[in-house]
Amino acid sequence: MLKKNRKATAEPPPPPNPVAVNQKTVIGDQISIEGAIRGQEDLLIEGSVKGSIEVKAHRLTVGVKGQVEAEILAANVTVSGKLSGNINATGKVEITKEADFNGEIKARSISVQDGAYLKAVIEMEREPLKGISPLGKPEEKTFSDPIKEPIILAEKGTKGN
Amino acid sequence: MTAFTADRKNTDLKHDSGAVGYSSNALKLFMEHLRQGPETKLLDVGPVCQENIRFFASRVKRLYVCDMFIRLGRCIRKGSPVDQIWDELDYPPQSFDGILLWELADRLDDPDVKRLVTLCHTLLRSGGMAMVVVLGDQSGSSAANTFVVGQNFRVHLRPQRHLHLPLHRRQNRDVLSMMAPFIPAQSFICRPGFMEFLFRRE
Repeated sequence: MLKKNRKATAEPPPPPNPVAVNQKTVIGDQISIEGAIRGQEDLLIEGSVKGSIEVKAHRLTVGVKGQVEAEILAANVTVSGKLSGNINATGKVEITKEADFNGEIKARSISVQDGAYLKAVIEMEREPLKGISPLGKPEEKTFSDPIKEPIILAEKGTKGN
Repeated sequence: MTAFTADRKNTDLKHDSGAVGYSSNALKLFMEHLRQGPETKLLDVGPVCQENIRFFASRVKRLYVCDMFIRLGRCIRKGSPVDQIWDELDYPPQSFDGILLWELADRLDDPDVKRLVTLCHTLLRSGGMAMVVVLGDQSGSSAANTFVVGQNFRVHLRPQRHLHLPLHRRQNRDVLSMMAPFIPAQSFICRPGFMEFLFRRE
């Protein structure tokens, strides 16, 4: 037993990897920053930030306690807190149900959980323009066609089909 | 001026895995209208969901989403006056080619519906379209739903359990009356009892 323990403690821990793959900076909930933030690693904001944030090749996360008012440039962005400003993301923007977002989003893809408090302008890659197939039968009218007579769908107090 | 027609045959209701689903011809026409312009701007008042954001954002130049359902829910929960939610629709006049109102009107009393319609009329460009859904008498549930749009304009209703909103059931004539500043363009009856309407701004 003793021998076994000695053997276990004798092995030195592996040296720290000089390239920290999952390195992340955290701005805690007691921190308030005003100005420009630029970085080369992931950033988690739980505090308050006002200004601009640029983590071009990395992920920005606005945590549930985070309050951010900024222009954002990042690879991927996750919003769970309060964010007011414009997001320009080369990858994905995720808005969780805890989020309160007001601003503009330009991204390759976007996901939004039901319940998110959202007021946004969204620009994504558009589908190439193609014709929409006509409704069921060719003789059916569309709003641009001249229509013969109006039809009342259901009288008040009666039940339709 | 185009008249107002109803198409009863052309709604294809199906129940997929217990969820109410149907093919929305109103939405198809609405999108056909939007596709006529290269720089189209669309406003969706919610309830917002990612499927719809992807669907609409990939088909218009700029998609504006302002979830009025969740704002209404917050107002009601806090006991605040409902009319303060209209401040959120602070876009410049004639900003949009289309507005998706879904069933928002059914969640509002008459004075607020009037306010909503006036606002939408201001926000729509000339020739722009508004799509309205009303639940009607026959729809079973009063829960607020997201009208989740899928492939080929198939829509299924996803209940929003976090939303507790009143329901003011309206009939066809009520809808025509409340949307009076607009030109009625087309309507469809869906078998669960709700109706889809398209209105156009002159």
